[in-house]
Amino acid sequence: MKKLLLEKAHVEGIRTYEVYRREGGYRSVEKALKMAPADITEEVKKSGLRGRGGAGFPTGLKWSFLAKPEGIPRHLVVNADESEPGTFKDRYLMEFIPHLLIEGMVVSSFALGSNVSYIYIRGEYAWIVDILEEAIAEAKQNGFLGKNILDSGFDCEIYVHRGAGAYICGEETALLESLEGKRGNPRIKPPFPAVKGVWERPTVVNNVETIAAVVPIINDGGEEYAKIGVGKSTGTKLISACGNINKPGVFEIDMTISVEEFIYSDEYCGGIPNGKKLKACIPGGSSVPILPANLLLTTAKGEKRMMNYESLSDGGFATGSMMGSGGFIVLDEDQCVVRHTYTLARFYRHESCGQCSPCREGTGWMEKILLNIENGKGKKSDIDLLWDIQRRIEGNTICPLGDAAAWPVAAAIRHFRDEFEWHVQNPGECLKRNFGLAHYADAIHVPVAG
Amino acid sequence: MVSFTDEKLAEVQAIINRYPEGKQKSALLPVLHLAQQEFDGWLDVPVMDYVASLLKIEPIEVYEVASFYSMYNLKPVGKYMFEVCQTGPCMLNGSDDIIAYIKEKLNIGVGETTADGMFTLKTVECLGACGYAPMMQMGKIYKEHLTKEKVDAIIAACRANAN
Repeated sequence: MKKLLLEKAHVEGIRTYEVYRREGGYRSVEKALKMAPADITEEVKKSGLRGRGGAGFPTGLKWSFLAKPEGIPRHLVVNADESEPGTFKDRYLMEFIPHLLIEGMVVSSFALGSNVSYIYIRGEYAWIVDILEEAIAEAKQNGFLGKNILDSGFDCEIYVHRGAGAYICGEETALLESLEGKRGNPRIKPPFPAVKGVWERPTVVNNVETIAAVVPIINDGGEEYAKIGVGKSTGTKLISACGNINKPGVFEIDMTISVEEFIYSDEYCGGIPNGKKLKACIPGGSSVPILPANLLLTTAKGEKRMMNYESLSDGGFATGSMMGSGGFIVLDEDQCVVRHTYTLARFYRHESCGQCSPCREGTGWMEKILLNIENGKGKKSDIDLLWDIQRRIEGNTICPLGDAAAWPVAAAIRHFRDEFEWHVQNPGECLKRNFGLAHYADAIHVPVAG
Repeated sequence: MVSFTDEKLAEVQAIINRYPEGKQKSALLPVLHLAQQEFDGWLDVPVMDYVASLLKIEPIEVYEVASFYSMYNLKPVGKYMFEVCQTGPCMLNGSDDIIAYIKEKLNIGVGETTADGMFTLKTVECLGACGYAPMMQMGKIYKEHLTKEKVDAIIAACRANAN
């Protein structure tokens, strides 16, 4: 399969400008600066590229919404606040091939008319800030950033802005608040960032992988890019796979392979360790619905489930899930869905910004109830209570964090209700299990229903 | 009196220059990182007030930000801080055992610092290292694929480094 982003990621020295350039880097800048900015947006539209952060919104369309009032600067802000549990693809890209992001940013900044662009990176990725700043300095020394790039008359600076530990800042308006030096409280939309973004200026916020994908789109043309993949899932997608698999890591796929192949092929996850069975999987980052093995591998219609936007969401939330951010979390037969869901509920409680009461209060309630059930202190009615709470959070908050907190709980109950009931009927039994399993502990096997 | 060195003040100015004129508040997060690094790993009230004066904003604007983001420490921490991830993917790979082991080994609870001021243990939520679980952050770097043996080695290396 043809890789578009990670093809050269492991060439010796690719982090340096010299090697990156020798391998064909920055060609897209040379090409783009001779094009009209609107034509670049047109190529991106033709490519069918969809935002790689999780929502999957068409990138070209997002760009075309950017307001261009006279005399007001516009900005491109790259969202590198990768914090969705299960997701570590942007980190991989920035760590191994940082110039690809910088190259994509120069082209995108030119298309959007941004003379000062920012990378908002999660605070914990501190060492990647150094890698990016080094790449930026090199690009500048070599005339691909700074004043009058390649004599085109286009000026562009890129700065890295480091966050400080807040999942919510991955939400684009919270990110902009944070970039302005405030708490990461999402804004009410409208106005959308395309009209009033950072410092009330028109702003486009795009994910790292999205901006990196602009490079092959400009090099090969939008139509060529659109030929890869299937349907509205064009191009390649980075999938970060983790959990109980033999080969955790980041894989670039062309969205035509099946979920089964992705899990079991040696080219990708390499199957499940110790010959264990697949129990469940969260295919697109912790927010998207968990699916039991049968629904993961085959849709409710009986078709093979494929690794693309449409197939993963086939069946809606009743029997399907979502591509999301590409954070692929695999659970083997020994894992406890209640405990896993509890850790996610705790995550969302910790990350709720606290603005909207359904999310602020609801995430805490869900966490406590799940912990009670896991610890053998739950009642059967607690399961219905959990269902009720998640339903009252979803759709009732300013930003999608509320939905993101509700969905994992809903899906866990939807597909694994018998396992919740088993916990209630067999109080404390689950705690005898050892979740450390992997490397050094002897597992105590207690069968879990479901 | 809290004050950055001239060298750090130049760094602060360089950070402020990344943002448009008059939008120096945007420099708050990076400057707080710098302050935390310079002033013993945590943000005491005088430090936050100093940052407010540098950016020409009200102290409350600094407090509300410092208390919102999990990476700013509002009380003293040990020389080495172990921030162990405990979210789903790390849990699937044994993070609970790693946390229990560190507690036992250092004889402290989560959120506590050893009596010698050497180590602080914190649990954190997803740090984006799910494929390399279990993991923890130690200062600027990630320690991944943790095992008990690896924890032992890290602790020993910290102690040796401090002496």
